[in-house]
Amino acid sequence: MSGAAGGGRWRLPLGPGGLLVAAATLASLLLIGAYLAAGGASYTPQEIRDPCEPRPWSDPRSLAELANQFSSSALDGAACELGVSRERLARALADERARERFARRLGIDDARLAEAIRAGLVRAVDDAEEAGALSPLVGVPLRSTLERIPLEQAIELLRDGRTLFEDVRDFLGPAGGLLERLLP
Amino acid sequence: MTRRPRASALALAVGLVLADSSVVVLALPEIYRDLDAGVTGASWVLISFNLALALAALPAALLARRLGPGLTAALGLAAFAGAGLACGVAGSLSTLIVARCVQGVGGAAAVTAALELLPASVGSERGAARLWAAAGATGAALGPAVGGALTELVSWQAVFLLQAPAALAAATPILAVARDEMATRIVPAGAPTGRPHLAANLALAMVSAAIAAALFLLVLLLIEGWRLTPIAAAAVVSAMPAAALLGGRIGARVAPARPRATAGAILVAGGLAGLALLPKAEVALTLPPQALVGVGLALVLSALTETALAGRAPQAIHGGWTIAARHAGVVIGLLVMTPLFVSDIAEQRRDAIDAGTAVILDARVSPLLKLELADRLTDRLEREQGRVPTIGPAFEPLPEDPEDRAAVVRLRGELQDQLDRGATHAFTASFLFAALLGLASLVPIGLAREVEL
Repeated sequence: MSGAAGGGRWRLPLGPGGLLVAAATLASLLLIGAYLAAGGASYTPQEIRDPCEPRPWSDPRSLAELANQFSSSALDGAACELGVSRERLARALADERARERFARRLGIDDARLAEAIRAGLVRAVDDAEEAGALSPLVGVPLRSTLERIPLEQAIELLRDGRTLFEDVRDFLGPAGGLLERLLP
Repeated sequence: MTRRPRASALALAVGLVLADSSVVVLALPEIYRDLDAGVTGASWVLISFNLALALAALPAALLARRLGPGLTAALGLAAFAGAGLACGVAGSLSTLIVARCVQGVGGAAAVTAALELLPASVGSERGAARLWAAAGATGAALGPAVGGALTELVSWQAVFLLQAPAALAAATPILAVARDEMATRIVPAGAPTGRPHLAANLALAMVSAAIAAALFLLVLLLIEGWRLTPIAAAAVVSAMPAAALLGGRIGARVAPARPRATAGAILVAGGLAGLALLPKAEVALTLPPQALVGVGLALVLSALTETALAGRAPQAIHGGWTIAARHAGVVIGLLVMTPLFVSDIAEQRRDAIDAGTAVILDARVSPLLKLELADRLTDRLEREQGRVPTIGPAFEPLPEDPEDRAAVVRLRGELQDQLDRGATHAFTASFLFAALLGLASLVPIGLAREVEL
């Protein structure tokens, strides 16, 4: 403060107008800085995975969990076949009207849709086997059944894979109890 | 008639007309749902009024010089009131837009003529210019809150229908002036008109574009993005006029116009950048940026309007130029910002639908429940017609199984958070663009040679 040293009055380097501009600049920068520090520029929309890439399997501890992961893999496989996202296919299969709209927009018929869903179901069996979540003893008959399954049933399996595993257990009869044990 | 009631009536007329450029902002979502129009269509309810006001301001000022300001103001207010009634009973978007154009033309006549009438009631040209600018700023600032409250408590039609009696109340004292003018046939002398203040008017246009965009986008964010009711949104955006009052007081302590205009433009730009960078979907976080925009708009609009009018005659003509500049700015702001925002919100909606489905599909609930939830979510999104939905109802009834129930409750919170953050993010580019417009106004403010009063 040279003014004080020289014995004169200390003067602001800016007039009221300059102070007003400086205060406005400071307030703006403070607000922008605070919001940036609080994550104001960090939002990114949730990434939608490529359905053709393998989806990691966690250890299923029950039939329900196995069915859950199986449905996810099957949806991925069918979506990959059709060249759409898993999310779009899931919404399309929610009801009959949505399915018809989806098929019309994609320019496909029921046969093509069935073929894609069957491919998805077979991929789910492959994924389950690869992850060690399903024994080849179950996988082989499952695959041959799924390759011929009608469209409506294929969609039902995507909705709830539990029925499939329950059917397999019933089909295996007394050996069906082994299925639960075949889960890792 | 004494001077004071006439000055009050003129201030009411100016406030009422300029409030109309923003009064309808909070009613827009109701209007576009009611009249089956999109955001772009409904934005023309705002744009048409401001465009008509901008285009008619100068011809209206010339008419006031030729016909007499009292008669021009009275006729303008009558047209404004009549068109307000037509807006209130409009059954289609096109009828509403045509009526809004008539309102704009009538409003332009009333506002520019008022500037010619005010010096006789106030005592000085400078006092008249200050009252005129203050009445306009108050109207523009209070407009959204009043409009939002009326929309919520009565209907969007009430916003227009109530303008008619208010306009007629303002016109009554002015009729005496009109009668005198017609009896004496004395109209103001046709003094030569000086050139308008280009830099101040250009800066006014740019700042107005930024402020209009701020208000329009903030209202859409609050109502469409965060699902606030119009009255709650009105309460939130009241922070801006409240801060503008403070800005007016600060401005009164600083005489030179250039630093006031500079500080105001910086604050408007800073506040808009803050709105672009909201870290969370929380109403409280909009208050600091709104405070900056409010203080900034009071500083910059009054400084630039005073500069554009200072020492220039006739006042009505130069007032016409400032009205034309401000409302042309509003129109440009809305025309540029609406498509930008609409494409952003459409993209955000697609992202939100996909993100929502992904969250559901990855949840640890049964596949059957997943597809059911995806179905119900799609249904909610369709029913909300483009609005970011309240997704709670899509999750009801909650599953009976305790594990599934806990997972679904967690899922609901996660999903709503995704949607809210996505909706907030959809406004980022538009707010940033508006901030740049505000900042760009510093160029004409800096270049102006005659900005000092």
